[in-house]
Amino acid sequence: MSAQPDGHRPVNRFAADDSDVIVVIGSGAGGGTLANELCQRGAKVVLIEAGRHHQPEDFINDEWASLNQLAWLDARTTSGSWRIAREFPNLPAWTCKTVGGTTVHWAGCCPRFKEWEFRIRSEHGCIDGVSLLDWPIGLSDLEPYYDKAEDRLGVTRTNGIPAPPANNNFKVMGNGAKRVGYTGVSTGRMAFNTVPRDGRPATIQDGFNYQGDKQRAHWSTLTSEIPKAERTGRLDLRPESMAIRIDHDDFGKVTGVVYVDAEGNLRRQEARVVCVACNAIETARLLLNSASSLFPDGLANSSGQVGRNYMRHVTGAVFATFDKPVRMYRGETMAGIVTDESRNDPGRGFVGGYYMQLHSLGPSFLATFLRPSAWGRDFAQIMERYGYMAGMWLVGEDMPQENNRVTLNRDVLDQFGQPVPNVHVDDHPNDTAMREHAYAAGESVYAAVGALRTFRVSPYPTSHNLGTARMSARPEDGVVNEFGRAHDVPNLFVSDGSVMTTGAAANPTLTIVALALRQAEYIEQQLKAGAL
Amino acid sequence: MYPHDALPDDVYARVAEKLAEAAREDSGVARTIEAGVSALNGGRPFAELSADEQLKALKGLEGSDFFEFVRSTAVVEVYSDQRTWHLVGYEGPSFDKGGYINRGFNDLDWLPDPEAAS
Repeated sequence: MSAQPDGHRPVNRFAADDSDVIVVIGSGAGGGTLANELCQRGAKVVLIEAGRHHQPEDFINDEWASLNQLAWLDARTTSGSWRIAREFPNLPAWTCKTVGGTTVHWAGCCPRFKEWEFRIRSEHGCIDGVSLLDWPIGLSDLEPYYDKAEDRLGVTRTNGIPAPPANNNFKVMGNGAKRVGYTGVSTGRMAFNTVPRDGRPATIQDGFNYQGDKQRAHWSTLTSEIPKAERTGRLDLRPESMAIRIDHDDFGKVTGVVYVDAEGNLRRQEARVVCVACNAIETARLLLNSASSLFPDGLANSSGQVGRNYMRHVTGAVFATFDKPVRMYRGETMAGIVTDESRNDPGRGFVGGYYMQLHSLGPSFLATFLRPSAWGRDFAQIMERYGYMAGMWLVGEDMPQENNRVTLNRDVLDQFGQPVPNVHVDDHPNDTAMREHAYAAGESVYAAVGALRTFRVSPYPTSHNLGTARMSARPEDGVVNEFGRAHDVPNLFVSDGSVMTTGAAANPTLTIVALALRQAEYIEQQLKAGAL
Repeated sequence: MYPHDALPDDVYARVAEKLAEAAREDSGVARTIEAGVSALNGGRPFAELSADEQLKALKGLEGSDFFEFVRSTAVVEVYSDQRTWHLVGYEGPSFDKGGYINRGFNDLDWLPDPEAAS
């Protein structure tokens, strides 16, 4: 249960020794959706969340203040040749630590995976330095759950929901894209309301998508899944609770979760089933920190794959200045997409596809990210053109690599005395080739509508973190099976983007939700069959 | 470091205040700043240099801990200041003004709606 307005923390709904509950760790896209779906199906769920239970009215229309309110800023370290290790060494990812997880700052882009994106390895065979593997499932397995997920999220252009209107920033990107010959140009499939729906109002085009939606027009687990779960009377939400270990018995079944509560007390919750959904960096860290004599390399890690194959998408951004005003910050931040490059065409010099998506930043973040470390009069003059600037984000499939991985950094401990995660990434030549292609394509789009200058922005900490507990048909190739069930531990599940065998070009949230809905159905069947 | 001629000096004075605050809270930061300031004043006092000479002196310290601390503080402070927002054409918080649904989210008039255009 959540904290009450009078500040008194209610007692937990379920007892610490209630071994009948399902414990879900993490309340974002995977965990929040799974918790609700399990509650709807009659299960008792304890939802453990490291962050506070902020409400939309608490969100802040100011980039740095909001980052400090919502972002996961606990200690992390980085290594590898990626620019993040130099430019933002302690912020490898921009994820959220709050009830609702990273759905709270999600702009809402909802592309589905394409059929070929589930089997990149079969399409292309081995690629040097890449640990590609086909998913154990295909698009047809996921389609019914994509349908449900789109209905649940209220995705525009599905289920009769009107398309988002074109905003200023989209008029620039969209016209440029059409002039260079792209045809997959639209305001996109977006998880925010264009009309009132599901008890939430329509957007007022207030921007600030990455700062939490005060209007509640955007779907998030905070404003949709978790309140619905609470109404069943079967959800026990425990905010400000940091899971630090998952326990197991002598037979290798998990029995409970040890966490530190809001007052700093060490607590333990018994569990019949444990589902880990902490976002790929923390999910891997928690499994690794749960090592024991039975699981010396980390829980569910007999394959050695926990933490490996970390993917974050090939990203980048292009901004451009014009001689007429744009005011890119007005309206829904990412309501625009160009889909033409999300195709499988190795003739371009790389495997996999990418999207161009609408994107804007306020002056505070733009000044930090446009050219990290830049200063001086030239830079100040670029910033003075802010109102005349348009922006797009580039997001494409990156290659899984065995050594792009999350490990424990035992030299740095967090506030709970736990080793922090180190995130190591080396760009693969395929990633670099895709990024260069995408930059050039983005620049040509803006050139077609008269850009005065264009700016290639290097990847900054993003919110897409995938692959660190990947699905595999064979236990030796990955961590979980097609339902997210650990190969090594029958009553342990992974329920977030960590399970993605490959990342596709699509923003991951819709797929994470679809997988969570599929997993909930499977868990219910297994419980009924007495298999859990 | 981020010179905007139209901004009042107070915007930059606030950066200095922020640095002083950080120095008070952390003796390591204080030592870094002291060392950097003495380096800047190594020849003639920094304040007496011409703008070009000041720029040259700053460039000489680029990459140092002092420089990076001052730069990263300045970039956040200067571009989070409402006076800078006004100067560069940014309107700041929008929710309490009703968003932009009736305030020009789509008022760009030099290009058509791309989906409506054929």
